[in-house]
Amino acid sequence: MKNKFYLNEHQRNNLNGYMFILPALIFMIALIGYPTIYNFIISFQNITAQTISNRFHQFIGFENYRSILSDPLLKQSFLNTILYTVGCLVFQFSIGFLLALFFSKKFRLSKLIRGLVVISWMLPVTVTALIFKFMFSEGNGIINQILMNLHFISNPVNWLTNGSTAMWSLIIANSWIGIPFNMLLLTTGLNNISDEVLEAASIDGANGIQKFFHITIPLLKPTIMSVLVLGFVYTFKVFDLVFVMTNGGPVDSTQVLSTYSYKLSFSYFRFGEGAAAANILFMCLFVVALIYLKLVSDDEVM
Amino acid sequence: MKKTHLNEKQKSILFSIIAVLIACVFLFPLYWIVISSFKVDGEIFANPATLWPRQFTLAAYQEEILSIAIPFRNSVIISCSSMVLCALLSIPAAYGLARYRVPGSKGFLMTFLVTQMLPASLVLTPLYLIFSKIHLINNLLSPILATATVTIPFNILMLRPAFLNCPVELEDSAKIDGCNVVRCFLYIIVPISKPAIITAGAFGFIMTWNDLIYSMTFNTKEELRPMTANIYTYMNQYGTQWNNIMAYGVLLILPITIIFLLLQKYIVSGLTSGAVKG
Repeated sequence: MKNKFYLNEHQRNNLNGYMFILPALIFMIALIGYPTIYNFIISFQNITAQTISNRFHQFIGFENYRSILSDPLLKQSFLNTILYTVGCLVFQFSIGFLLALFFSKKFRLSKLIRGLVVISWMLPVTVTALIFKFMFSEGNGIINQILMNLHFISNPVNWLTNGSTAMWSLIIANSWIGIPFNMLLLTTGLNNISDEVLEAASIDGANGIQKFFHITIPLLKPTIMSVLVLGFVYTFKVFDLVFVMTNGGPVDSTQVLSTYSYKLSFSYFRFGEGAAAANILFMCLFVVALIYLKLVSDDEVM
Repeated sequence: MKKTHLNEKQKSILFSIIAVLIACVFLFPLYWIVISSFKVDGEIFANPATLWPRQFTLAAYQEEILSIAIPFRNSVIISCSSMVLCALLSIPAAYGLARYRVPGSKGFLMTFLVTQMLPASLVLTPLYLIFSKIHLINNLLSPILATATVTIPFNILMLRPAFLNCPVELEDSAKIDGCNVVRCFLYIIVPISKPAIITAGAFGFIMTWNDLIYSMTFNTKEELRPMTANIYTYMNQYGTQWNNIMAYGVLLILPITIIFLLLQKYIVSGLTSGAVKG
């Protein structure tokens, strides 16, 4: 009898561990795990404004996918999302990298200012979107004025109401958010490269450029990879910024996958199709996330 | 060509000046909304633009201060509740994952890492349908629960390394003195990890304060909207009153800017560990 109820050291340890972990895990399963599966189910069901209150929803196979795949807007949203993501990554990574190289130098205000610029990452995207919407105003908006004073443009540009420039405005606004994030992670990576390796190279006669390409870059590769993958994921799933700045317009020229899915579900109340679109977005991210997990688990830190 | 060599001190000063210039350019958008919120209508789109208001006015704030009362209250309720919920769940979980090697712990960690990458749109439709079934639509609880799904994994990944650094000896000696696991966690681990826990709380608060999509989707009633959702509808109604919108924006970012400046050191280091991996 006694033996039955007494756990050995190992079992007791496990029990204690689960006691700490399980509440959070159950919460996440209930509010993320289950909805993810439920989203998958909805995407095969006929759920619209008319049928939402029904007890059972009709299973319609791939009908939702078929209807959104035949919608040219899905293809456009997908291409827009790719353009947006690649554009943002190029800007925020290259500028972030330059800043990281600069701020990894040791000087007085280095840490203070590096920390200060991170604020752009902490601000609500809603407000950032409004700030940039304001700055990109047509006519006498501040960006038009600056560019005209620098003679980059001769006439004011209608940044947000013009299909070809609206996407660029979004990319610039998002890069402003993303640059400090890239910079921080890359600075951490740079600081982890020991000075001894670089000194040894100098003694062997390597110049600054050689050191950069043959030592810094290879040693920084894991950091660069994770910055790019994380950047891809965070940028690809963009919602708030596009929703507030352009709401997909003008004429869907900045419609991205998440705003497209949102529109289907919450403007047209075609929940089945919205879920299907969200699932397509998820699949794209899932592939990238798998690559990332592979990278992380190869890393001995985990 | 003569090469000038700067000594360490001159170099430090030169770099510091460049750094200040970078900060000025980078933070210009923030300066611009603050300064625009003090301008009168006619000066907002003045050409040439004025870097300092010719006519300094608080009119925009006087107009906005009353209308933000209810959205501000909602933002505070949602953010504080979500922060507490997130802390109650994520702190023990992070500790459990740091201290105990239970079967599946690596899998759990991976799961938290992946959930962080999920787009909000993925769970938006199903959560809306679930919440409407259990009558949580138009209820402040729905954004509280939904935002916690974002902050919990973030905080777990951020806190776990902090707990890994806690000396095990401290716990072991307490256990010998007859302290049980829960007391040990509450009276030893939590107090010595205070900076990490405060940072976690700050992240929980800020990320929830910034949320737009969940509140906007789950709560359609005006009196339940937080400031983010409110400023969005406000913009659609009064799209051209930029001084008022910017004044609203300044009030909206004020609390998080204060938190950020107070905890800057911790937030910056927390960001790197929370956003990447545990």
